Amino acid sequence: MIKNALSNTQIDLLGNRLKGGSHTESDLRLLDDYRRSFGAAYEAVVRTLRQRGAVPTGRLAKSTKSIAEKLRRESIRLSQMQDIAGCRIVVENILDQEKLVASLKADFPEAILIDRRDNPSHGYRAVHLIAEISGKPIEIQIRSSLQHLWAEVSEKSSDVLDPTIKYGGGSDSWRERLTKKSQSVAAYEESEKKIAVAVASEEAADAAYKKFENAYAELRKHHLPDHELQEMQKAREDLMSKKKLRERTHQKLRGDSERLRKKNTDLLTEAITWLDRQKRQKQ
Amino acid sequence: MIFLIEYNRSIGVIVTVRDFDDSQRREAEESRLAIELDLNRKGIDHEVVLLEAVSKDALHRTHQRYFADLTALLKSAAGQDE
Repeated sequence: MIKNALSNTQIDLLGNRLKGGSHTESDLRLLDDYRRSFGAAYEAVVRTLRQRGAVPTGRLAKSTKSIAEKLRRESIRLSQMQDIAGCRIVVENILDQEKLVASLKADFPEAILIDRRDNPSHGYRAVHLIAEISGKPIEIQIRSSLQHLWAEVSEKSSDVLDPTIKYGGGSDSWRERLTKKSQSVAAYEESEKKIAVAVASEEAADAAYKKFENAYAELRKHHLPDHELQEMQKAREDLMSKKKLRERTHQKLRGDSERLRKKNTDLLTEAITWLDRQKRQKQ
Repeated sequence: MIFLIEYNRSIGVIVTVRDFDDSQRREAEESRLAIELDLNRKGIDHEVVLLEAVSKDALHRTHQRYFADLTALLKSAAGQDE
């Protein structure tokens, strides 16, 4: 039960004790009160997300262990921590991710946007939005399926191999493998975006070609002079050859994209097989 | 649904998992604190988290790390190709 709101000074002193590992049972209760004070803000955010058709999984309370580790790892005070409560949404692909991020930015115009897709954090790629409700920050993680899968492998690697992997630690070889995998996912997602642009332009070009065909058929009924008809035929052939070229280019894009997807799966498979072996040895 | 998870990070396995209805949020929070206090008294370094999802499947999808054996992650990865 929350009796009184804690002051920032009280919160930060509590953070110092957690950081130093000198916390008492009453500190754990105090931290619990602090975590619960995010409840109303969390519910407001989740309600909005559900109205948007998203299926968030919420973390009502960041674990004490994670809070203490973050305080030790980063030069941050407990009162500044922005992910005490939050939620995660995993969408199918990067295109859905972009649509959702755009709509959430409209829902939470004051939210801080952290886009880790182009500048990954130790390979981690995702979009985080920090929405603030009544002074309480709530973190919304938005990931594509592949970004999420990569993050899960990274988290599991941290559990099984070395807890610092998530933050750029661990062995060089494993870090390189994770980085390579992350770059591969990024390349695949870039191809997804290119294909989406190509499909949109193909649809527009097809519509324009159809219009031209209709106009051409109509004009032919009016017995145009030969030279005009020839010009029209030439224009029609040009359009057809451009259409074929476009189709070939898009087919190549799709093929490249498929290969990248396979490469992602192979890299992930390799990583997981190795992690499995390590986990079994540990148990 | 609300899920209360005690997780042993050092070996990557769940120790206990308990679920609650959405209406039992306070009870879930109290249980979380009780587990944490108990672990603290015993000097056991486990992670205790409270997660909320529409279903167990949804939770497994977004937080596979806690539940899945790595082979399940692999299947999920293969699923990307289906």
